[in-house]
Amino acid sequence: MLYTLREAFARKVFLFFMIISGLILLTEIVIFSMVDTEKIIASLNSTGDPLMRGQIIEKIELAVYSFITSLLLLLAIFASASFVPNMLEKGTVDLFLSKPISRSQLLLGKYFGGLLVVFINISFLILGMWLLVSFKFSYWDFSFLSTILFIVFTFAVLYSLLVFFGVLTQGSTAGMMIAYFIYIILSPLLAQAYIQIDVWTENKIYIYLVKGLYYIVPKTAELLGTDAINVVTGAGIDDYQPIITSFLFLILMLGFSIVLFRKKDF
Amino acid sequence: MNAIEIIGLTKIYFSSGGRKKVEALKDVSFEVATGSIFGLLGPNGAGKTTLIKIILGITHPTTGTAMLLNTSIDNYFIRRKIGYLPENHKYPTYLTGVEVLKYFGQLAGAEPTSLKKKTDELLELVKLSNWKKNKIKTYSKGMMQRLGLAQALINDPEIIFLDEPTDGVDPIGRKEIRDILADLKAQGKTIFLNSHLLSEVELVTDRIAILNKGVLLKIGSVTELTEKKEEYKISVDAENLIEEIASSGRSFHLKPQKINGGYSINVSGDEELNLFIDFLRSKNYLIKEIVPLKSSLEDLFINIVNESEKGMK
Ligand SMILES: Nc1ncnc2c1ncn2[C@@H]1O[C@H](COP(=O)(O)OP(=O)(O)OP(=O)(O)O)[C@@H](O)[C@H]1O
Ligand SMILES: [Mg+2]
Repeated sequence: MLYTLREAFARKVFLFFMIISGLILLTEIVIFSMVDTEKIIASLNSTGDPLMRGQIIEKIELAVYSFITSLLLLLAIFASASFVPNMLEKGTVDLFLSKPISRSQLLLGKYFGGLLVVFINISFLILGMWLLVSFKFSYWDFSFLSTILFIVFTFAVLYSLLVFFGVLTQGSTAGMMIAYFIYIILSPLLAQAYIQIDVWTENKIYIYLVKGLYYIVPKTAELLGTDAINVVTGAGIDDYQPIITSFLFLILMLGFSIVLFRKKDF
Repeated sequence: MNAIEIIGLTKIYFSSGGRKKVEALKDVSFEVATGSIFGLLGPNGAGKTTLIKIILGITHPTTGTAMLLNTSIDNYFIRRKIGYLPENHKYPTYLTGVEVLKYFGQLAGAEPTSLKKKTDELLELVKLSNWKKNKIKTYSKGMMQRLGLAQALINDPEIIFLDEPTDGVDPIGRKEIRDILADLKAQGKTIFLNSHLLSEVELVTDRIAILNKGVLLKIGSVTELTEKKEEYKISVDAENLIEEIASSGRSFHLKPQKINGGYSINVSGDEELNLFIDFLRSKNYLIKEIVPLKSSLEDLFINIVNESEKGMK
């Protein structure tokens, strides 16, 4: 597991993340120093209510958050997609499999190693962002940090998919395409469709199909969207279903990956 | 005692969606004695690598099984006592020589306390000490092979599997590798060697097996297998020796055959050989050289493989 960290270092994943994070944070600093934020807040908050002020700051945090999470996840998927295929490369896989380690341990080691890499990088950026905003407004609200968990969890779900397709195809392309497709297109679309399908059509088959699909596909859009935002604003999660079904998806994917990996000839 | 026991291994590969079937191993069984060097020979595609991969759990057998140190290969713990140099091995290129040994040593279950010492020792042994801090992407092919050998020894294994260990190594390096193998044998280790470099195998192995198209054709010690009836090469300047023997009325069992620079003869014993020499001397021929002919492992190999090919048709 620690060697996945080492691998990430060596392949400059960390450097890359840090540069991107640095750029994002720098942009934030520049914007903050150029714009008179207090004036804007004051104009939005005519009564000077301190509660209102907190809400506005939260909004600013969330606006930045939603902009960067998509970027972060795209990067994280890109960086981690090759962890498993690299281990399965011809000539390398023989070395790993001939060691006194079970195949499930090998695969899970890669999985949690990758997760750790992403966790460290994401924590760094979110923490940096949060510190900036907090100092700027002298407003300390720790609930924003919980977004780290949401991002890492969402990544964990998508990473299980990457691992599965990594084992299946011994390449990184297929998994990456599918992960991107789910994250960018399918999950947001299904989240919308789930709510509105009854309005769109009366055909029962379509309705079942869309709803069925909705439950199967990991709900990255909701995890990063409403769920994360609700926690930050203190509204709380009203529906645990997206978290539970996505987690089941993760377990299932890892399970399939292990079964497949154990059966495979190299 | 046997370090390795192979029990009726069969492996069928299905490729291109199950349409193409390759029988890489057909009911192969044999044993390798503890503390010996065993050579598995065979032409390309014979199934040598497949056999090792099955023993080490990299590929699953279709039927049959194997035992390492009296333990089933299904028990992956036994690999703690195994070293392996795969053919075309590839390490993560961002590691240095030392890091490769450390990384794979840890995975192989080497003692963390002795790992550092062992790493230095092995790098010294394979003559890579000057390169140990360099990234392995800067290594040459022969250096990679030496590193691979060191990696195979990092956990102080009881059995060492080497798939084409001298591939890409220069003659001096090969000699060094042979010496290392002899040394390991002296320490009581068992060595399983895959190779098609027959002249090399001949120099180090105690026993060999010949495999072709998944079938085990022959197994035995090198001397046993290459031994031939008494046959000599005699170099002599004689144009029409065969006719002269015929006209002399003497009946030798031997049937001299012209080979380059002389004649080869088969004799039934030393007596007959001396009679033949007397005959040559009586004709005033000058004998320049008498050399006993022994078939090389290469001849044996080619003969056995060719025969089996004929048998298959
Ligand atoms: N993963 C695989 N899928 C399908 N067929 C395979 C696979 N691996 C090996 N084979 C086939 O099995 C046979 C034996 O291959 P193997 O690699 O064991 O030969 P080898 O004796 O090691 O040859 P070489 O001397 O070239 O290394 C070959 O016909 C090969 O095409
Ligand atoms: Mg081979």
